[in-house]
Amino acid sequence: MSEEMTWVLQAQQGSDEAFTNLVETYQKHVYNLCYRMLGEPESAENAAQETFLRAFQHIHRYDRKRPFATWLLSIAAHYCIDRLRRRKFSMASIDQDEEEGGFELPDADAPNPESEVVHNEQREQMQGLLKRLDSVDRAAIVLRYWNDCSEAEIAEALNLTVSAVKSRLHRARRELAGLWQAETPRSKPERRPHESPAF
Amino acid sequence: MNHRPFEDWLLDNQPLTPEQKRDLQSHLRLCTSCSAIAESNLALHTTQMVPPAPGFTDRFKTRLAHRRSEQKWRQIVGTLVLVLGGLGLLYWLAGPVIQEALSSPAEWITTAVGYFLFVLTSLQALGEAGTILVRVVPSFVSPAGLFVILMVVSGFIYLCIVSIWRVNRIPQGV
Repeated sequence: MSEEMTWVLQAQQGSDEAFTNLVETYQKHVYNLCYRMLGEPESAENAAQETFLRAFQHIHRYDRKRPFATWLLSIAAHYCIDRLRRRKFSMASIDQDEEEGGFELPDADAPNPESEVVHNEQREQMQGLLKRLDSVDRAAIVLRYWNDCSEAEIAEALNLTVSAVKSRLHRARRELAGLWQAETPRSKPERRPHESPAF
Repeated sequence: MNHRPFEDWLLDNQPLTPEQKRDLQSHLRLCTSCSAIAESNLALHTTQMVPPAPGFTDRFKTRLAHRRSEQKWRQIVGTLVLVLGGLGLLYWLAGPVIQEALSSPAEWITTAVGYFLFVLTSLQALGEAGTILVRVVPSFVSPAGLFVILMVVSGFIYLCIVSIWRVNRIPQGV
């Protein structure tokens, strides 16, 4: 049995310490998903904390046949989608919030100021594009690219069929490309060595 | 310009042969639309994960403790409201009856005994009617008819059990 499953079992039996280990392990994944979905550090922090609280409260419902990460990310994604829908209803636009809030986030692995600036620019640019996507499409993109979830896992996390996930990813990538072209007509993204521009 | 099949290769992240990669590279040099897809794909792959501010787990522990104390208080207040409300309702409903019963105990005892006898005789009558039905019905209904009735009754019971199970099933995800 993996260490993670041991923690899950102990957490299901009421161990706070075991659940804290799970929080330590998944905080970055959950926070990143919330940040990419909501676009503000403060909202992302609240959403990530709420996700872990909900997971803790309902840990007895977790089916051990499913991957724990998918279950956790599913809670986070649904919470963020719900928040975005409420924002939409209350007519408060994300653009306005972001102009007020800004992006002051800690970057754990910034080797030097120059690369930090590049990463920050890229992060802001991508965040700016992501916020224009539909909330479910956005969740699918974040789960696919930042959490390396398979299409089947995304489908499970978002309560969609695999074909719906494929079609949403296809549509979202096309939309992102259109926005990318419109916003950055001359810029070229940073490439990894020996990597094709496509993959 | 014809974007097929390059656009599909890029949008669906299909694995490519070396030859297909060469064709794609030459297409990307000429096509701004497809190179935008490639560039945005690359940006998605290279944009780093954003970590939370340090001390996330400690903040979680604090929130958990706060949530627990909130829930505890809510439980205490809820129980108090329920008990006090119940007692109030009971007093409001049963108060006049109790007062009356205490003022004339003989009348109250007579009524209670009357009700008890009524329930007892009703149950006896129902039991006798049931016994007669069990004896008489088989002479009117054929064994096939009885079988059909039994099937319908068991089907209904099965439906009830399935419905209760579906309603009480523990859902996944929260």
